[in-house]
Amino acid sequence: MLYDLLPHLVNGLVQSGLFVLLAVGLSIIFGLLGIVNFAHGAFFTAGAYLTLTLHQYYGWPAIVLAPIGVGVIGMISERLLIQRLYDKEPLVSLIVTFALALLIEASVRQIWGGVGQSLPTPPAFTGIIEWGDVIISRYRLVVAAATIAILLSLWLFLEHTPFGRILRAGSRDPEMVGLLGINLPKVLTWVFGLGCAISGMAGLLAAPLWPIIPSMATNAIMPAFVIVAIGGLGSFAGAVIAGLLIGVVNALAAYFWPEASGAMIYVFMALMLLLRPRGLLGERWERFE
Amino acid sequence: MTATTPGLVLPRRKLLMGASSLAAAPLAMPHIARAADPLRIGVLLAKTGNIASQTEYLANGTYLALEERKNTIMGQPAELVWLDEPSPQAATQNMQKLVEENKVCAILGGSLSSNALAEEAKAAELKIPFICDNAAATEITGKNCNRYTFRLNTPVVVQSRMLAPYALSYGKRWYHITASFAFGQDILRSSRELLKAAGGTEVGSDEVPLNTADFSSFILKIRAAKPDVVVGGLSAGDLSTFLKQWNELGMKGKIPFVEIAIGDTDIWAVGPEAANGTFTKMWYYNNPNNPAEEKAFAAAYMKKHGKPAADKAWMGWITAKSLFDTLDTVKSTDAMKIVEGLEAWKFQAGSTSYSYRRFDHQMLVRNLAVSVKEKITDKWDYFDVKATLPENAADLPKVFGSEEEVGCKMG
Repeated sequence: MLYDLLPHLVNGLVQSGLFVLLAVGLSIIFGLLGIVNFAHGAFFTAGAYLTLTLHQYYGWPAIVLAPIGVGVIGMISERLLIQRLYDKEPLVSLIVTFALALLIEASVRQIWGGVGQSLPTPPAFTGIIEWGDVIISRYRLVVAAATIAILLSLWLFLEHTPFGRILRAGSRDPEMVGLLGINLPKVLTWVFGLGCAISGMAGLLAAPLWPIIPSMATNAIMPAFVIVAIGGLGSFAGAVIAGLLIGVVNALAAYFWPEASGAMIYVFMALMLLLRPRGLLGERWERFE
Repeated sequence: MTATTPGLVLPRRKLLMGASSLAAAPLAMPHIARAADPLRIGVLLAKTGNIASQTEYLANGTYLALEERKNTIMGQPAELVWLDEPSPQAATQNMQKLVEENKVCAILGGSLSSNALAEEAKAAELKIPFICDNAAATEITGKNCNRYTFRLNTPVVVQSRMLAPYALSYGKRWYHITASFAFGQDILRSSRELLKAAGGTEVGSDEVPLNTADFSSFILKIRAAKPDVVVGGLSAGDLSTFLKQWNELGMKGKIPFVEIAIGDTDIWAVGPEAANGTFTKMWYYNNPNNPAEEKAFAAAYMKKHGKPAADKAWMGWITAKSLFDTLDTVKSTDAMKIVEGLEAWKFQAGSTSYSYRRFDHQMLVRNLAVSVKEKITDKWDYFDVKATLPENAADLPKVFGSEEEVGCKMG
């Protein structure tokens, strides 16, 4: 039985890497800014469309600019809109970021049209690899490797750089960080841009796997929110562990009970939250409790 | 000395009386005031979600049909009021809004079967003519039919019958992968019956939820089952995702894939590298056998939008045309007169005749069997037309089923 399940588990875990990237972006923004960013999926979509356009006009190497472009859009959004929400009720930020999501999706529809478009798999990564019954596409292995590299870089950045320390300190006691002479609003702009850039990176990686349509984020953003809820709001490590669990749940559900595979992650979330309401690695946050 | 005033002199009382009369005129002659109001027709199509790429073309075709008549119906200006169709419940609420607030005389729409089934029941309740331009669930003009509902798309069961010979040409061991909502469940039911009648075997079946992001597990199951052919029942964006990942996992060309009712927008989103399969569809812009009227429509569409008309654009156009022609003929916005007018409507395009069947309000249209080209060189032109089904137009009533087989009882 396990032998039959193995290929499903491998593919499920790789796919969940995309959701983990989205969830980590959400977690960073929530953990450091206190904003539940409903527009996060829209930045994912923007990442996929920017990738498509950069590839069409400048070829494969140019697509690395897509997440940077999404990060810049995120920073502009933060300066114009998000920074006005920091001292507001959580409900206000939910409504405003939801409106921002609709605005971005409508803009995408206006610029690129509503009809789905396609980005081929990069020629260097086409084909499949077979190990016995385990079959995986080369591109999915690239997605897995890229996800691990991004998560590792982020962890190193947040834990072992002065900027990372400022971010973590600012998330706990923004007043004290300000008194130390650090321009916290500027730092927060960078944080929001970083979270959006990660989402854009997920969009880049997803673009050859999915049709590129204005509503493509709907397939990804809900699993990402589920991962954040299971992992614990604002927890980087929690998001990674929860992402792996969701990958396993998805694969098992598709194998044993395909009709219910869409609902199983929500059932799993409900069970996890009943057992541990703050999520796996969620902490008590003075700012929110 | 008397002062003289040059020009027209009107006494103040006469001036006031004249102004009052002008202001009161619409009250005294309401038919003149109404003539200034545009005739409103409701459009109920999804504006977001995976189906939105299809509905954009349905709406474009509908608007083009009105523009062809210079936005005039029954000799008065006409306008379309387009509301969203986010879910069956919200769609029926918007339907009510179109009737009660926007005062539309008829409604075009129904992009998904689940929505259309709810909408047709609401149409009967509101007594408003409803012409379904996209949904294909058999029940719409089958056991759920009603006097106010008309439908263009060929029912799932009929399309499945048309596709079955192509699936059977690959073999009798089928694997079904279908959407777990009305459209997919209908395909699964019909396909299983056809397979059983042909003496075949179902080697596997998966019903997958809408908006599935990852089909890898399902594709691995299909690979392990080694069927002769995969019979799909996925809709819009899900079909595109499946075909992309089918190719990504090296399955393109290994096991044939067939499905009914593909839209051009579905295959455009897959891309030339991954596209493959054999399908039924209602219309294709590059079909050399299209009659002159439809070639003119395709040219007008290309001129306006700068790209070819997808099948959905034609579907929006032909259903809107049936309603607008009817309104011009019956010259009334009375619901029952429109219904009777639609029942009598006929459009002859070359040798093709379009009309709604009286007993179930189903339009009888010959479908196309198409296969993805071996090599795609034009980013819009993906298909080779293999056949027009049924071959003989005279067989249409038989292929669509008799009154008894369809089970529609309008009462």
